Amino acid sequence: MQDELREIVRKLLADGAIEYFIGYCQGSEPHRVFPCFVTEESEVEKLVLGPLCLQNLSKYVLQARDLGGKVGVLVKGCDTRAVVELIKQHQLERDKVVVVGVPCQGQVDPRKLEQALGVPLERVTGVEDAGDEFTVTVDGKARKVGKEQVLRDKCFFCKHPMSFEYDYTLGDVVPFIIDAEKSEYAAVEALEELPVEERRAFWRKQFERCIRCNACREACYGCYCTECLFDRKVPRWLDRPPLPEENEIYHLIRAVHLAGRCIDCGECERVCPVRIPLSRLYKKVQKDIAELFGYEAGMELDTVPPLVNFDLDDQDPFM
Amino acid sequence: MVSGSDSLGNGFEPKILVFACNWCAYAGADLAGVSRLQMPPNCRVIRVMCSARVRPEFVVKALSKGLDGVLVLGCHPGDCHYSEGNYFTRRRGLLLRKLLQYVGIEPERFQVRWVSASEGVKFAETVEQVTEQIKALGPKRPRSGVLPTEPGDS
Amino acid sequence: MDRKKISKTDLSRWLDRIAETCDLIGPVKEEEVVQFRPVRSSAELTLDYANSLLPPKSLFFPPVEELFSYQKRGEEIKLEQTKPLEKDRVVVGIRKCDVESLSLLDRVFLEDLEDVSYKDRRDRTALIALACPTPPRSSCFCTSFGIDPLSPEGSDILLTDVGKDYLVDVATEKGRELVALADDLFTKLTDKKAKELQPPPVDMPELDLSELREKLEGLWEDDYWEKLSLPCLGCGICTYVCPTCHCFDIADVGSTSDGVRYRCWDSCMYKDFALMTSGVNPRPTKRERVRNRYFHKFSTFPSRYGTNYACVGCARCLVHCPGGVEITTVMEDILAKEGASDG
Repeated sequence: MQDELREIVRKLLADGAIEYFIGYCQGSEPHRVFPCFVTEESEVEKLVLGPLCLQNLSKYVLQARDLGGKVGVLVKGCDTRAVVELIKQHQLERDKVVVVGVPCQGQVDPRKLEQALGVPLERVTGVEDAGDEFTVTVDGKARKVGKEQVLRDKCFFCKHPMSFEYDYTLGDVVPFIIDAEKSEYAAVEALEELPVEERRAFWRKQFERCIRCNACREACYGCYCTECLFDRKVPRWLDRPPLPEENEIYHLIRAVHLAGRCIDCGECERVCPVRIPLSRLYKKVQKDIAELFGYEAGMELDTVPPLVNFDLDDQDPFM
Repeated sequence: MVSGSDSLGNGFEPKILVFACNWCAYAGADLAGVSRLQMPPNCRVIRVMCSARVRPEFVVKALSKGLDGVLVLGCHPGDCHYSEGNYFTRRRGLLLRKLLQYVGIEPERFQVRWVSASEGVKFAETVEQVTEQIKALGPKRPRSGVLPTEPGDS
Repeated sequence: MDRKKISKTDLSRWLDRIAETCDLIGPVKEEEVVQFRPVRSSAELTLDYANSLLPPKSLFFPPVEELFSYQKRGEEIKLEQTKPLEKDRVVVGIRKCDVESLSLLDRVFLEDLEDVSYKDRRDRTALIALACPTPPRSSCFCTSFGIDPLSPEGSDILLTDVGKDYLVDVATEKGRELVALADDLFTKLTDKKAKELQPPPVDMPELDLSELREKLEGLWEDDYWEKLSLPCLGCGICTYVCPTCHCFDIADVGSTSDGVRYRCWDSCMYKDFALMTSGVNPRPTKRERVRNRYFHKFSTFPSRYGTNYACVGCARCLVHCPGGVEITTVMEDILAKEGASDG
């Protein structure tokens, strides 16, 4: 698939069909895979594919809005949801982007991998997909690690292993789907069942840890406002000091602003430097949106997002 | 901490923010006033043109910064002066209430009610009921840092 | 140089004795992450760790800090300065790169104007550094900046793990006072014995950075920054985990009658960081902001304070950057350039 990808990109660049291609490439160490922007055919060899391609690249497509030509982007099935939503939210013209879809066999959570192997990640020189396992090369020797041990949390509930909105698709690989024993909302439900004081204490602790670095906002495909509400000086919604009650406002409002748009890519949680379990907040909103309005973000191009819509027969507990 | 309260809520007077839509709820509030209906004084009313004007930020900021409750009053669904506004309010209200509850903010602290221009009595009853409910809950969390007193307190 | 040794069990006893009179702060494992936290007993510490997530600069220059509170009643205004520290502190387990970063921060906070809060914290905190293990993490590159992870310079005491014991280098008077709290637990070493126990110098790939500044300064207009900034998300994580970054914002939170003035971390990677009231923004796009960051570390800071580069090679920015902007790659790219490209 990697060679196929490089061929497609090479041709797109050679034909002048795109200004640059957004894909993944190796960082300074084998376990680091990062977004890269390929502008010339000579750089195409840098492109890689594999279970460490964690990032949702669709965020970068927005940077290209002001470019004259098109850009190409590589999307896993889950990332496609972002592209679809961006089009629905009128942030992207479909014909501005050349989408290359890749079937995904499940992504590795590097932290889980480190724990499972018991060695620092820097000794991992390769991770490859092997059906229901990963083949991990540690200190030059190959080891098998079961997928259920090291898969990213969200991969257990994969809704779209294949990209479903694309211009090109790679390979005939049958995507791997793991049978999740719990529901995708298990962590949310666990919190919902706690008494209110314990829930409050849990969230209070998280909001106290937040240093308001805003990484979650910057990593999120859906946070594309040219001026974020929280950066406004007039009116001043939030001050900079990361006081817990201000952090609460920040996280709650971000969750509400993303209601019906959050595609569960997990970037916010992945980038948080203090490891706040943000998925437990955003999945709650996803759960409510699904239960109340029967909607899941990014799955179809022609459905209307729930918060710009209404039904005369909507639930009404407010009489 | 809200002035004059202790942690048990004895003598606790909640501060409640009410958003009332211009065409129905605010008119209903006016009617309640003109009819000399008795109501507890804890609600501070802000008039908005439509209940849909209320962004979730208003509610969250109010509650996180120390107000004890927020009440959004709009026209009955179907009667919105702008035809559809309150349908959006309804959706947003549902979602926000659930989220607030999830992070430990009691559902009584954020409520949405439909009050028409002729429902002065309903306005008064709503204010009374919501004030009682929030009084029973006690103050929303104290703020971090200093600021123990309010202006004018000794 | 006072060289002693202490067994690992005795170390815990000594630290516990320290905790009786001072606030003891050290690396604590919180779920999968290690952070510097105050502890009541040495049992809470984890000294078997690579490095902390947030740098210990947060102990001297906290992410959010109350400066003073104000109250206005009628015409009368009362200001109450917030006391930075209650007790003296001892930080144990700090790495050499982070110790070095404090020396750089000292230039910012103590030179022209003494920052009251930083000074109080710095004066009243003793540092018990912990030498880095061999081999070091593959991402570390402190030696490229002339930092020796096995030297006690900058700290009061340096602990080096030598198996069952720790080698103890006491470097300052403050260090001697701390050792005196539990003299009986330490064994004095002869120079010869100390040399035997001393681990070899840390072996780390080193970059020759002597030409870095000059080459960088010729690259202001280079299109390298445009390409480099493409994967940058502008999230600011690099500045938050960096032990030498020190930009801050001041905000008053409260009303006209009661309030608190806070200082909190800010980041030059944010779009509105350099935005002026006139509406002019000298760093309007990511290209300018990313460029500014590297210029600050390798040119502006050294020139302003007369120091070596303002990076200590801890690699936190590299490890945490979601976009994969790697400072080591940037340094290599700059060094590989021919020289001034234009202007």
